[in-house]
Amino acid sequence: MAVARHSFLAGSAAAPVFAAVGENGLASVEALARRPGLRLVQSPRQAAILLVAGEPGRAVEEALQRVHDQLPPPRTTLWWGARPHFEGEAILSNTDPLPTLRTLWLELLDGARRGEAALLPDEPPHPWRGLGDRGHGGEGMMGGTPYGRPMAMTAEDPRDGLTLDPYTARYGPFLPMLPPGLQMEITTQGDMIVEARALHSPFGQEPAALTPSAHAARLLRLLGLPPLSIRGARWRGVFRAIPPGLGVDGHGDDVRARLCRWLSGEANAPSAPPLGEMLHGLEWQEAMLVLASHELDALRLSVLSAHAPGESS
Amino acid sequence: MNVVLSLLLIALFVGAGVWLAAVVDRALGAWRAGARPDGLFMGPLREAAAMLVRPRAETEVTDALFRLLAPGWYLALAAVSFSVVPFAPGIVATAPSTGLVLWGACEALVIVVVFIHGWAPNSPFPLIGAYRYVAIGLPAMLPSMFVLIAAAVPAESLALPAVVESQRELWNVVRQPLGLILFLAIGLTITLRGPFDYADPEDLAGGTSAEESGPALALWRLARLAMLVSFSAMAATVFFGGYLGPWLPGPVWLALKTLAVMFATQAVGHLLPRMPAPRMLAAFWLVALPLSFADLLLVGLESLA
Repeated sequence: MAVARHSFLAGSAAAPVFAAVGENGLASVEALARRPGLRLVQSPRQAAILLVAGEPGRAVEEALQRVHDQLPPPRTTLWWGARPHFEGEAILSNTDPLPTLRTLWLELLDGARRGEAALLPDEPPHPWRGLGDRGHGGEGMMGGTPYGRPMAMTAEDPRDGLTLDPYTARYGPFLPMLPPGLQMEITTQGDMIVEARALHSPFGQEPAALTPSAHAARLLRLLGLPPLSIRGARWRGVFRAIPPGLGVDGHGDDVRARLCRWLSGEANAPSAPPLGEMLHGLEWQEAMLVLASHELDALRLSVLSAHAPGESS
Repeated sequence: MNVVLSLLLIALFVGAGVWLAAVVDRALGAWRAGARPDGLFMGPLREAAAMLVRPRAETEVTDALFRLLAPGWYLALAAVSFSVVPFAPGIVATAPSTGLVLWGACEALVIVVVFIHGWAPNSPFPLIGAYRYVAIGLPAMLPSMFVLIAAAVPAESLALPAVVESQRELWNVVRQPLGLILFLAIGLTITLRGPFDYADPEDLAGGTSAEESGPALALWRLARLAMLVSFSAMAATVFFGGYLGPWLPGPVWLALKTLAVMFATQAVGHLLPRMPAPRMLAAFWLVALPLSFADLLLVGLESLA
């Protein structure tokens, strides 16, 4: 009886969903965030259902499989307007996914649906044993990539000249605080970014995801304010939270200037500096604010042009 | 007998307080997002049940002991810091002559707990959140002790019952409004809330909790809310006269005041934006800390006069 009551409570809870956004999926996912009956979680660990919204393409297939495997079992996938690359239900992009998500959640809870198995092998992706001074693949007691995770080496800290550990890892392409599709290799020292390189450009999105208010909402979410209260955002306190001169671009505009323009309903100048230049020396949170303060299309162009043929980097 | 009664009252306050805090959080969040809250009163219980039926996620080469202990330790700190709060004259779980110091110690240990919670899963986002919280936490805890000592000056004692009795004529909030404002900021820091949520924010996909799921995540969220209840009860005791009040019994007055402080803290948490960490650090070191000195100085001069 207690068990039945328990799963009854869980069944009436919002379904925990992690959204992996592909081409033209952002506006629909952002609209979904406002609906009762499901909760869009920030980390795949907290989700039971992986919602793939829009076509992610083959280039990021392995990254998508990795996100899938990060959902704790039992887990399931819903392909919304995307061609299924692996197991799961599929619906068209013009279908409302909420009823299907609710059904999947209830089926996972009462065991009617068997969870999906892991897609990637659970083994270290890099050979590392036996290499280096202590068989960990690095120098001294540092470095190397044991278990496929690069370990830090010491290097000079650009801030104060102390030697600190730079740590290089890949971020994206399905992280909720980054533009969907953007995958970067970032080297951090503490929470400061010393190097950033784009590996995959952001996906193209429908016009509904590119409006000034959609951009402002994303920036406000990063500031810890619920995205829809634009009226509250006109309050000057929001601008006090952003230091002046943060993320200045070629036009002399900073994050404040861009947010200000969006809140007044104007579009910004559609250009963004190269990623490495834009993020160098920023702390993680500032870097996310700077990224969110550029138009999605401008970021996309900036990454694509850096990858243009002829520039081998 | 009084100890047993106060332990029961602590359990009641924390249990009911956590649920109410979750309800208020939901209502405020929905209000700020311009939506209708979905299942306001049952919602938190449903979310908790949904978390409890999910399994725990494993990460590679974790610090398993720390991963297991961190949420429980946070909850324990909330309970221990509640133990010095008096519910009525003579009804208190423990009344050491240094009650305020015990509370301050619990508060400082929150830094350690949040750090090990971010350290344990061996993953970049939790670790960045953990480092950032240590940087923010240290300057936040320093003003806290000055503010609490200032509140103890009129009582000439660090024991909480004496601090409450010293407010029979005049509540500390009237004597030291500056102290209350600083103390509310500290409350936001130790409960990882709103503008001071540098450990578990959106820009790190949940920060120190990014790798957590299932019962461990439920316990961490519960502990954060329990710490909020404990903080609110302390603020009500130190600044709003605790159990003092006409007609109603002491614990009821304390409950009402605790609720009011809790609601105010949560409202502030939902209203203020989060500054980039270096800017917030500058605000703590250059504004909050000198202000707490000024608060202590003013209270000291007043008590001499």
